[in-house]
Amino acid sequence: MKKKLICTMLAGVMAASVLAGCGGDGKTAAGTVKDEDGITIPEKITVMVDGTLVTKSNGQQEFIDRWEELTGIELEIIQPDHSAYYDVLGQTIASGDWPDVMLLSPTYYTGYVEEEALWDMTEAWENSELKASGRINNEELIDNLYIDGHLYGFATARGNGCVTYVKKKWLDNCGLDVPTNYEEYIEMLDAFTNGDPDGNGVNGDTYGVSAAGLIGVEEPYVNYLPEFYQDAYSSFYQKEDGTWADGFTEDSMKEALQRLKDAYEAGYIDKESLTNATSDCRTKFYEDKFGVFTYWAGTWATNLKTNLANNGLDSELVAIPPIEELGAYLERRPAVWAITTQCENPEGVFKYFIENMLDGGDMQTLWTYGVEGTHWSTAAETVCENTYEEGEFHMLESLESPGTQYTKNNIDPMLSIGDYIDADPGANQIAEEARESQEIFNENSTLAPSVKSTDEMSQFNGDLTTLKNSIIADIVTQGMSVEEGYQRFEDEGGAEWSQKIVDSLNEE
Amino acid sequence: MKKTKSANAAVAAPKSTLKNMQKYKGFYLMFIPVLMFTVAFHYLPLAGISLAFTEYRGVKAPEFVGLDNFVRMFEAPGFWTAFLNTLKLSVVKLLLNTLMAVVISLLLNEIKNMAFKKTTQTIIYLPHFMSWVVTVSVFSLILSPSQDGLVNTLLVNAGILEQGQEIYFMGSKDWWTSIFYIINVWKDTGWGTIIFLATLSGISPELYEAATMDGGTRWHKIRYITLPALSNTIITVLILNLAKVMNLFESVFVMQNDAVIQQADVLQTYIYTQTFNSGALPNYGYTTAVGIVKSLVGCVLVLVCNQISKKIRGRGII
Repeated sequence: MKKKLICTMLAGVMAASVLAGCGGDGKTAAGTVKDEDGITIPEKITVMVDGTLVTKSNGQQEFIDRWEELTGIELEIIQPDHSAYYDVLGQTIASGDWPDVMLLSPTYYTGYVEEEALWDMTEAWENSELKASGRINNEELIDNLYIDGHLYGFATARGNGCVTYVKKKWLDNCGLDVPTNYEEYIEMLDAFTNGDPDGNGVNGDTYGVSAAGLIGVEEPYVNYLPEFYQDAYSSFYQKEDGTWADGFTEDSMKEALQRLKDAYEAGYIDKESLTNATSDCRTKFYEDKFGVFTYWAGTWATNLKTNLANNGLDSELVAIPPIEELGAYLERRPAVWAITTQCENPEGVFKYFIENMLDGGDMQTLWTYGVEGTHWSTAAETVCENTYEEGEFHMLESLESPGTQYTKNNIDPMLSIGDYIDADPGANQIAEEARESQEIFNENSTLAPSVKSTDEMSQFNGDLTTLKNSIIADIVTQGMSVEEGYQRFEDEGGAEWSQKIVDSLNEE
Repeated sequence: MKKTKSANAAVAAPKSTLKNMQKYKGFYLMFIPVLMFTVAFHYLPLAGISLAFTEYRGVKAPEFVGLDNFVRMFEAPGFWTAFLNTLKLSVVKLLLNTLMAVVISLLLNEIKNMAFKKTTQTIIYLPHFMSWVVTVSVFSLILSPSQDGLVNTLLVNAGILEQGQEIYFMGSKDWWTSIFYIINVWKDTGWGTIIFLATLSGISPELYEAATMDGGTRWHKIRYITLPALSNTIITVLILNLAKVMNLFESVFVMQNDAVIQQADVLQTYIYTQTFNSGALPNYGYTTAVGIVKSLVGCVLVLVCNQISKKIRGRGII
């Protein structure tokens, strides 16, 4: 009898564990209370977001508590693992149980607009207090998010991008100034490759520049070696006359590939660029193996500087303005907050969740820096060996990574498109080099092209991108000529696929 | 008379089954969660196969497109490149790994010093427990074309290569495939020896003693005793591993780069690229179709090998 009882209990426990997680999910509730503008105040908002918001182990509950305290609305955050975010998002959408709001990459944004899964927020934005407030410092960014005259997603910050950093000491050792055009840029790479820029007495034991791949795997693709690509773009873009083109088929790309080939053969570009991960490039940069690194503007300037100093090297970096032929760095299109068509009260969610993020006060501080006492403080104290006076805004030690301080929450203060009503409370804690590199980028960048999703794009672009990248690698590293590379593009169907995609984009 | 007996048995069978179930109901009860797990996580997902016959984006209801995805797949040159690469890389890797595992097992079996033998075994098992990312990172350093690369430095110092002419092994179309096999052999051969060593330890010492008395040399013992005793295990291991040949992914994915994509694109990486790098929302319909073909080929390979096994050994393993 005892045995039977144990068997039954064990079976029950196992069955329960198998079925665990199959239960229903709480559903968003629309409230019935209306505010002074006649908009129904939501009772609860469900949000799906990636790891760019504070995680559970980094004080997310405190974030939720503070958010609910500021709004009086219940907030549910669904935050899958950052690397699996779009897998889980796809599964969630397929399951039919959609969140009210979700954070979307540019590809998913245009794709879901095409699939009619997103609420049209044009009217809500155009009539919003936020737009009327005059605190939006980059309305052009929002204008760029319109698709066929309608807005379906809202970005609270710019997408950021890469700026070229040059080691100051290397420039000084070679007696060079910051390059302003391609000729000077190549002259600098030559000096860094064949001279003794690190001053160790050995000529030719360094090289000019390194990158994680000769072409990126996501837009804006050409951002890691911009001085070579200049005005060339490897994917689809809309021309000024409104028609679409594939940049890979244009002369500018052929010229860019010739420049890359020449520089690679001359040894100016790291021989291992094909197989480098970004972490490999950073390590080599910290080990003084090369002197020019095009990498993210802003906080990364501080990280690069700190790691060089940790290795006992001169840590002064110059973030250079784009060279003449480049004109402007390419800015990554930003991730957007979008409201799903399943949301019962989209107007309320827009006002109380999205618009509220840039309120220029407490809520903006919450999204930018996190929660006081958990993520930041103004108390007199020492954090990670840095001492702060009473009233001095500073970030606190990370719960997840002890020994390091938080830098931000979801909105990067240097990229935010909303100004504070008064002053940004955390403005002074931003490192000088981070601010400088960000300003250079912000003042000298242009938004990467947006691409619509079409059936032909879905059908051919995977194979096409693989072929393009393979041809780029063949031309630059395997001795193939540019002409031979483009012949391969014709022979293997690339030109045909490219034309089909261009035609489909022009038909839309 | 016989017919009547078997008919009676057929009638009696359900009763006896029920009786057995009654008798062993505790075991059946314990089996229920396993059954539920298997159905929920192995059989119900099979319904996803239907996606292969649809145009699927995840938001709107999938649109039935018949065999369009399969037609598109067979017309895509990228699919055939990936398909042939999968077969080539997997089969050669399997044969090399098995061959090396047998050779090393035979060598280990000849070692009489137990301490040395155990230490050697432990050392050659260790790479199996390293992740592919770490393994490839280590080999990338060893094979680096820079001054840090051990192999290139040795080749330059030995006068085989000139300074500045170092080989970029990981980014070379000529070298990538060989490097892939070498890394795979290094990582998995040790682990593969376990099953062969177990078989070798089961061979009766009397057979070797008899061979010695008959004047057999060491080679004769290997040729006429050890290898025949191992043959069943070799075939079993080959067939079991053949079922997995189409699943090649991680080892290739971490070694792949744009220069060697024609040599290194396999079905799993092709599916990955088509799903996530198309620049549009993933079309799971197409990638499910590729996945089905991959599974079917794997299944056919196993059945063919099983038939071969039946012919060679007189019996199959499944």
